[in-house]
Amino acid sequence: MKRMRGGYGPRKWSVALLRIFLFLSIFLPGFSLHAEEAPYLSTLLLRANQMELWKDPYWHTLLHYKKGIFGLRSLIDDPRFFLAPSGKSDPKAELEATLRGFFSAEEDETQHPVCRFVARHHWLSEKLEIDPSKLPVPECRRFAEIMDQIKPASITLIFPAAHINSPASMFGHTMLTVDTASKSRLLAYAINYSAVTRETFGPVFAIKGLFGFYPGYFSILPYYAKLQEYSDVDHRDIWEYPLNLNTDEIKRLLMHTSEMDKIYSDYYFFDENCSYDLLFLLDAARPSTHLTDEMGSWVIPVDTIRKVKENGLVTGTIYRPSRASKIKYLASLLSGGDGKTALAVARGEKEPDSILGEDLDSRRKILISDLAGEYLQYQYSKKKIELSGFQERFWKILRVRSSLGGTGEDHQVPPPDPPDTGHLSDRFRLGVGVRDGRLFEEIAFRPAYHDLLDDDRGYVEGAQIVFADIALRYYSSDHRLLLQKLDIIDIISVSPRDAFFDPYSWKITTGLLRRTGNDDDDHLVYEVTPGGGVSYKLSGKSMVYVFGETGLLLGGGLDENYAVGIGASAGLLTSLTLDWKIHLLGRGMFYNLGDRHNAWEVGLHQNFALTTNTSLRLELGFSRTHGYERPEAGLYWNIYF
Amino acid sequence: MKKVVYVLSVVLMTVALSGVVWAVDPKNTGCGLGSIVWEGHNGLLSQTFAATTNGTFGNQTFGITSGTSNCEQYKTFTYNEKVDTFVADNMDNLARDIARGQGEYLNTLALLMDVPSTQKAAFGSHLQAHFSDIYTSDKVTHSEVVKNILAVTTTL
Repeated sequence: MKRMRGGYGPRKWSVALLRIFLFLSIFLPGFSLHAEEAPYLSTLLLRANQMELWKDPYWHTLLHYKKGIFGLRSLIDDPRFFLAPSGKSDPKAELEATLRGFFSAEEDETQHPVCRFVARHHWLSEKLEIDPSKLPVPECRRFAEIMDQIKPASITLIFPAAHINSPASMFGHTMLTVDTASKSRLLAYAINYSAVTRETFGPVFAIKGLFGFYPGYFSILPYYAKLQEYSDVDHRDIWEYPLNLNTDEIKRLLMHTSEMDKIYSDYYFFDENCSYDLLFLLDAARPSTHLTDEMGSWVIPVDTIRKVKENGLVTGTIYRPSRASKIKYLASLLSGGDGKTALAVARGEKEPDSILGEDLDSRRKILISDLAGEYLQYQYSKKKIELSGFQERFWKILRVRSSLGGTGEDHQVPPPDPPDTGHLSDRFRLGVGVRDGRLFEEIAFRPAYHDLLDDDRGYVEGAQIVFADIALRYYSSDHRLLLQKLDIIDIISVSPRDAFFDPYSWKITTGLLRRTGNDDDDHLVYEVTPGGGVSYKLSGKSMVYVFGETGLLLGGGLDENYAVGIGASAGLLTSLTLDWKIHLLGRGMFYNLGDRHNAWEVGLHQNFALTTNTSLRLELGFSRTHGYERPEAGLYWNIYF
Repeated sequence: MKKVVYVLSVVLMTVALSGVVWAVDPKNTGCGLGSIVWEGHNGLLSQTFAATTNGTFGNQTFGITSGTSNCEQYKTFTYNEKVDTFVADNMDNLARDIARGQGEYLNTLALLMDVPSTQKAAFGSHLQAHFSDIYTSDKVTHSEVVKNILAVTTTL
């Protein structure tokens, strides 16, 4: 079943109608959920009252109650999730309504509160020692059947890493899998929380996502379906973290998952997102954990993995390379000539059968046909080949491969550094420097996430994702404290092209920066700069890039307070050692609209990682704007936390 | 006039630059080779979150429910419904594993077909040796593949 994006107006109306209905149900006899209270219900209500059960943290976990500005509120927005009209903000009323619900005369067992809220029923039964024989529906048989079918054996936290060139996946994603007794990872059930939308126009999607305009739902699919999506189509490496949840904990996790069936919460990209809502399932599994309380206001998926790890739930790390990673690895095992043969076969320039005729040993023939097959699948996933062409060529390649026999090597791609071992997401930086002969001290903070010079271990090389990087500068010579910059968004994706992959590189920068104006003074200017280009690897650790850029400037030091221009930038990124990275860059912009002027800059930036979470950075730069020159040098100390 | 041309060219260039990260809308294909579950969207920013949902346990029998709805199923071996679904949903990767005589998809097939673990390796190389009998043409459908696998494994 595919859900379409829910309209907002109708939902609000349905909420209102439901409230009216619930309100009426209290007063109209025969319409009531609790026409006359069973004596046993009164006993339970009394017992719950005496124990003040609604104050129990676990009740708050199951109902997703969190403290907000207006007191306690559930993060769930679907009215179907609450049995009390005031349930969203009243844990006590909801608990009482839940107990009453257990005595409901609902005939359809699957719709009975005992079945709809399995985890609540289980927990309250335990706490209040409810005698099941006194309930109209003693237990949810359907849930028992599901457990029996699944035979859950363990839970694994799954992290599809960032996608090399896609801003949507820039922070990665998390899901859980329920591993069955069958021991095939492919047949595990993947529990996923995501916004449901058919919106494909990026900007609209981004804005709506920021402000919670999409409903988020939990879903379950076979893990192989998610692997196709992430690994085969999106080409994202996947990290699996097996968890040490025991049988009871797994059962609680699944009970709460079943409660969340078809229940929506408004989805927010930055806090109530895929990774955050998943943590409720873990909190529900293990009542002693409070992962949902430990996250800040900005939930980055990899940080949730770190938190889960800190709480002692993780028992290992497993790497599952994407198809793109497999192709790169296979290509690295072959000499250039063999790689070209594989490419020619995959592209249809050479018949697959010709591999058999090559004067090569069978190991190399196997590698060539394996690489050709993987690369053809890659091309198909990128829509670079039509279905019928793919089928014919793929079939021929596999036929050749099968005739070569032998299971050959297993092509185990060596795992890179796991994402949770990289530097932490927030960065604080202190620096001193000289700009145009004047001394300054700088203090800066960045909540997310990684720039081109930060240590790449655990991150995607060449991918910069920076949000809300703010820097203040104090010039001691004239005792002035200035906002030096506020990078609202600063994303750069440098994706090298090679014989197999031909991605474009791109960038988008927007924010405030201090810039030399036409009066030879530095002014705060708002800048938007998108750019696109290409990049190539020179050797193992070096790459060069070239971008075409456009730029819009608004603010001080400009005639008419604006300028529009085009230009270009280029750079070289290299690592001298694992810890020492260098970025050499140059940029020229030609503004022909508004304030007509040219702006040039060159820079040599170096980063030296002292530890995983500290680094030293030396930035040398020279700019010439409106003809005014500004040399600058700065030494910075970065702390990641 | 010059200004207008300039603004237009800057706008065009900006659009072209941002078009770099735009991509095509995926669609579903058939149930033979090349039938990928195209769940992901490659539009700017929409990738991670543009998901469809099958509910949680609401309509799950095994959970393998995707992919086969538009495809005919091979009815004779009803006890192998899971095999049928798995093969349909993983045509390409399974074909690749069978051609190689090993791999995760092949192992899962063996598991679903109750192949004893001692015979797994033999099962793999047997299917590999009979690749052309299983994948008889490039237009082979998943139900033919299931039928052919069952046929060649009777001689195992």
